[in-house]
Amino acid sequence: MQSRLDRLFAVLLALAVLAGAPLPASAETEVLVWHAYRAAEKAAIEKVAAAYSASHPGVKVTTLAVPYDAFADKISAAVPRGKGPDVFIYAQDRLGGWIEAGNTVEPVDFFLDKPTRDRFIPSTLDAVTYKGTVYGLPVNYKVITLIYNKKLVTTPPRTSTELVATAKKLTDKAAGRFGLAYWYSDYYYHAALQNAFGGRVFEKGTAKPVLNAPENVKGLDLLVKWIDEGILPAEPSTALITALFNQGKAAMIFTGPWFLGEIAPEIDYGLAQLPTLAEAGNAPMRPWMTVEGAYIAAPSKNKDVAYDFVKYLTDRDGARIMALEGRQSPSNKAIYDDPKVAADPVLKAFRTQVEVAVPMPNLAEMTMVWSPATIMMASVAKRSTPPKAAADKAQAEVLKSLSELRRK
Amino acid sequence: MTAPSHRLRFLAGLVLAGGLAAWLAHGFASDARRRVAADGEVRRAVVALRAVTSLVESSGGEGDGARRAVVAWQAGAPGVVQLRVARGMQLEASSAAGDAGGQAAPRRLAREEKPLYDRAQRIATAVRTNREEQGGRKDEVEVERLPSGGLSLAAPLDLDGAPVGIVELETAPLPPAPSTPWWPFLLAVLVPAAAFGLVMLLAGQRRAVLAVAATFLLAASLFVLSRGTVARIGEERRQAAASVAERVREQASLVRSASVSLGLPASAADPAGWDVDPFRRPRGEVASDGSVVETRREAAVEEEVRHLGRSLLAAALLALALLLLIGLGAFHRLGRTIKVNRQAYVYIAPALLGMMVLVFYPFTYGITLSFTDSNIYNTQKPLADLWVGLRNYGDILGDFAFAKKVEGGFVFNYLNFYWTLLFNVFWTVTNVTIGVTSGLLLALVLNTRALALRPVYRVLLILPWAMPNYITALIWKGMFHQQFGIINQLFQMVGLQAVNWFDHPFTSFLAALTTNAWLSFPFMMVVSLGALQSIPADLYEAARVDGASRWQAFRAITLPSLRPALVPAVILSVVWTFNMFNIIYLVTAGDPGGSTEILITQAYKFAFERYRYGYAAAYSVVIFGILLVYGVFQNRYSKATEA
Amino acid sequence: MARSRRDQELPHAPLHVFLGLATLVTVYPVLWVVSIAFSGRQTLAIADVPSDPTFLQRLRAVVPWPQQWSTANFTSVMTDQPFGRWVLNSVVVAIFTTLLGIFLSCTAAYAFSRFKFPGRRAGMMSFLISQMFPGVLTLIPLYIIMVQVLGLGNSRLGMIIVYAATSIPFSVWMLKGYFDTIPKELEEAAIIEGASAGTIFWRIVLPLAKPAVAITALFSFMTSWNEFILAATFMDKEDMYTAPVGLRFFVGGFSQQWGYFAAGSIIVSIPVVVLFLYLQKYLVSGLTAGSVKG
Repeated sequence: MQSRLDRLFAVLLALAVLAGAPLPASAETEVLVWHAYRAAEKAAIEKVAAAYSASHPGVKVTTLAVPYDAFADKISAAVPRGKGPDVFIYAQDRLGGWIEAGNTVEPVDFFLDKPTRDRFIPSTLDAVTYKGTVYGLPVNYKVITLIYNKKLVTTPPRTSTELVATAKKLTDKAAGRFGLAYWYSDYYYHAALQNAFGGRVFEKGTAKPVLNAPENVKGLDLLVKWIDEGILPAEPSTALITALFNQGKAAMIFTGPWFLGEIAPEIDYGLAQLPTLAEAGNAPMRPWMTVEGAYIAAPSKNKDVAYDFVKYLTDRDGARIMALEGRQSPSNKAIYDDPKVAADPVLKAFRTQVEVAVPMPNLAEMTMVWSPATIMMASVAKRSTPPKAAADKAQAEVLKSLSELRRK
Repeated sequence: MTAPSHRLRFLAGLVLAGGLAAWLAHGFASDARRRVAADGEVRRAVVALRAVTSLVESSGGEGDGARRAVVAWQAGAPGVVQLRVARGMQLEASSAAGDAGGQAAPRRLAREEKPLYDRAQRIATAVRTNREEQGGRKDEVEVERLPSGGLSLAAPLDLDGAPVGIVELETAPLPPAPSTPWWPFLLAVLVPAAAFGLVMLLAGQRRAVLAVAATFLLAASLFVLSRGTVARIGEERRQAAASVAERVREQASLVRSASVSLGLPASAADPAGWDVDPFRRPRGEVASDGSVVETRREAAVEEEVRHLGRSLLAAALLALALLLLIGLGAFHRLGRTIKVNRQAYVYIAPALLGMMVLVFYPFTYGITLSFTDSNIYNTQKPLADLWVGLRNYGDILGDFAFAKKVEGGFVFNYLNFYWTLLFNVFWTVTNVTIGVTSGLLLALVLNTRALALRPVYRVLLILPWAMPNYITALIWKGMFHQQFGIINQLFQMVGLQAVNWFDHPFTSFLAALTTNAWLSFPFMMVVSLGALQSIPADLYEAARVDGASRWQAFRAITLPSLRPALVPAVILSVVWTFNMFNIIYLVTAGDPGGSTEILITQAYKFAFERYRYGYAAAYSVVIFGILLVYGVFQNRYSKATEA
Repeated sequence: MARSRRDQELPHAPLHVFLGLATLVTVYPVLWVVSIAFSGRQTLAIADVPSDPTFLQRLRAVVPWPQQWSTANFTSVMTDQPFGRWVLNSVVVAIFTTLLGIFLSCTAAYAFSRFKFPGRRAGMMSFLISQMFPGVLTLIPLYIIMVQVLGLGNSRLGMIIVYAATSIPFSVWMLKGYFDTIPKELEEAAIIEGASAGTIFWRIVLPLAKPAVAITALFSFMTSWNEFILAATFMDKEDMYTAPVGLRFFVGGFSQQWGYFAAGSIIVSIPVVVLFLYLQKYLVSGLTAGSVKG
């Protein structure tokens, strides 16, 4: 009888321990990082997390991959309720929304000392700065650049005149061959043209939309000119561009690093800078850059450690792993002097391109721009509305959404 | 079972309902008192904060001048725990206990003072944003209740009209206000109960008399109670206004004397501008000389009291309803019903409970949200502050601009609610018709006895259901591409013209319809297959003997027998198709120009692109209402809920 | 029972033509998924035709047949991530969802079909109504109730409850409709013989309602099998994810690896097909099952 009771007691004790009774080992600080990576990028961030944990006794960094399509919703649901991670990595486009909603992203301005600030390509830090306050450290950037099929194009064009000439030579519409293909009816891709003319979505430093600014209309006019040259395929989409390029039917495309993994192995491709535009006084095409920032969750209990990890992730050691193994383009400037990184043509090409890139707006109000802008792009791309009228309509639409939102 | 006495039932009802009303009224009254007291406390603290801010501003806002101003001011201001002035990473002045000696200002902010820095950044952004939008949206004066019970307030430090830092004030907790006494509320129950005792003696068991008497007594008692409560709260609100005005006068003289002793120019600040709302807009209840502006105060009192009065009225109505329910025996009957049909309720309860857990809260939340102006800018505020009544519904249902006249004809405004509704209904009817017809037809064919290869057909035909529709929907979208799509290739193979499917509302709709029909017929087919098994074979035998044709047998036997199993599937697929978000989103994405949007994709856009949660919720409720009407009519017509 | 009804049947040849066509249209997009999955590429399908294509070239372009066959996509899907584990999670969740869903809806549907009690209509309607409120804004309230209030975040039980509750309304309506077609005389006879309500339900009614139970089983299974957003939101550990969550890693965001997604889609379709193969015997017994007099 006695022994049975003892056994029962032992079992209960074990259960209590399992149920989370404090143990000496659990005294270490755990930093949970959420990201939306897969494959090489995932392996890279896990490696950085392990390296940090190994060099910082008492700290354990764990990661959780969340599918991109559910990631933003999951953050919005979990973080403000204190159920989320300590750190999450996301592109800057949702930043404004989370800041306006509150209790999601912790400002890191206070932590940010000069050496850390200076470590980044300045525009990438701008991307994670919201109305004058820095909210995260930029991990990497993505920009659109020119990717070409080396079999079809020997020297990539440097100017829009060359671009059109080369593209015209390589286009055979009836055969479904195009000299140039990109998702030109998408505002994100089109922005490279618009920005070359000095166009913008919001008046600088404000949340005042100016979709129909004269510079924006000039960008649309140029697009119309290209379409009329007949060098672009109809109804473009990412799936179509991928298919065309992989079948050797698109000689040059404008796209970003995400595309590289989808290129068929037999295609020999090269990367080059987007051309300058003769129509814009030889100004370079200036694509939008998407910057993934590492943000500290506002309800996190380990903000100092979390910030320290984020600092590590964006410092040389972390950035090197993310670049060479995760195939990302880090925002850290110094990493591009690393011999291995410097020798990488892909990373180099994006590093050159980012010099002229513009951070995509991170304002909350940006989300109400996409729908009208998409309709504007579709009607311009289909030549059903003149650019100016389409831009005016989109602007009116955005202003209406804004005034309804801000109505008292 | 003997019927309990009407008298006792009404007495019990009176006591219970009165008790409930009194309890609620006490709660409302306490809340109102607390709110009035807290508002007064906050306003007095804001006045002090704004006063010292104006002193610091006139001292130059930094350096020794600012520090001396803080010291001089705090010496004359009671109830202040600490005061800090911060600019950027610099602590300019501080009267906090720890900030003496080596820690004394001026110095760089320490790690624990990150909240102070973040607050300064937040407030500076708020000032800029409000200015840019020419409105009041973000708090420029932040007020926070500390765990100690005191307040922590912060306001921008302006130099030359631009925010350069903040002044943060921490006040000591006030002694707790005396709690609201219970006795008037108790009396409000006991007096009518006692009076009803008398009535009982006189009226006997006459139900009507008892009901009228009990209702009258309770109503009268609650009326008197709420009059008294409202009057008291109004009085407290007036006292609060007076105390704020007094604080303004105190601070004005304090700032004056401190300015003199510090040798500062007389502050230009108008003391009337110290009593401000969170957006630094003067409330106007206190004049520049520190007297109360009575018209404005009375308006504020009215506002406060109206709010309370409404709550009390609701409580009284609730109580009267409860009184009648108990008095007339509703609960008694309910209890008996439950007892008699215990078995049925036990069978249903688990499923109902599971469903309720999942549906009830989101449902209530959605409906509540639909009456507010909740949006991305105000998610942190309580919903009661955002109440807009039926405004969202009025905006949705009152917008009849579905076409615009332009030169040479009309342009449809596809984003208009009624247009979208029309399309939504059309979409649902066509989809369900095609889905049901093809599913049923295939099931009938597959049910043919001794047909070879039946199992093979069956498995192949359910594949659209088995595959994740995320990929198959996009395959279909790809098949409709104008140049590289397979559909157009097929058209050209048979000599037809290629069609630009997504250029025209109708063809775009056809693309979505084809995709959805393809995705949804297997479900209907499986349901029909199952339903066909419920038909007794001997019915056909009998029909054959009677010499009925195959068509006659189908009309007379198959269709009616299929009904019980098929009707639920049809009703539910109408509901699901009406809200078929994915297919529209993936295949047409509203192209061209939003003409193929359905209501749910619109609601989604209002919520997640335009950030208008309240409006989107109202959209959802309208969708719900439409389906509910459909459900009720369909049910009446099909009698599917009958046994 | 007489089986010589062939004379009354329709001729089989046109039926085969009809079914063949229907099957072709049905299977065609699926074949593209198969073709993409086995192509070793990541490209979604487009018709690949030269200029001035001949009829045959067009025909080749519209036949879903990869240029070369490769199982590389399948290997990557299974080895890059713990996909097998995720499928297993899905199986566990789906099976328990099905069991719970069927049990709860059978009992409720039986009561709705056989008992007359106040609130019956309202009860039935409430199940229908629960399907009507659009789910656009419901993620956060659901998160609050399931994770914050009930503490069922990151647990299979939480997912099972959510999915079962989602599938119950249809199941109840479907089963109730089917129960209605079963003659009451059978039960009345059993009552006279002294059978309890439970016995009548389990031994007499349920066996006769097998086709409807099979349909609801398939429906409940599918409800949980393809659900993505709730599973991804509620689960906080990678080894708790379900297959649809795993699948979505391949697409979404900037990068779209359709080859992997197609391969994964085929893998997750297999259990559904197996389940259907098992359940279809209840859906095919032809007209004989109607002989309820047995």
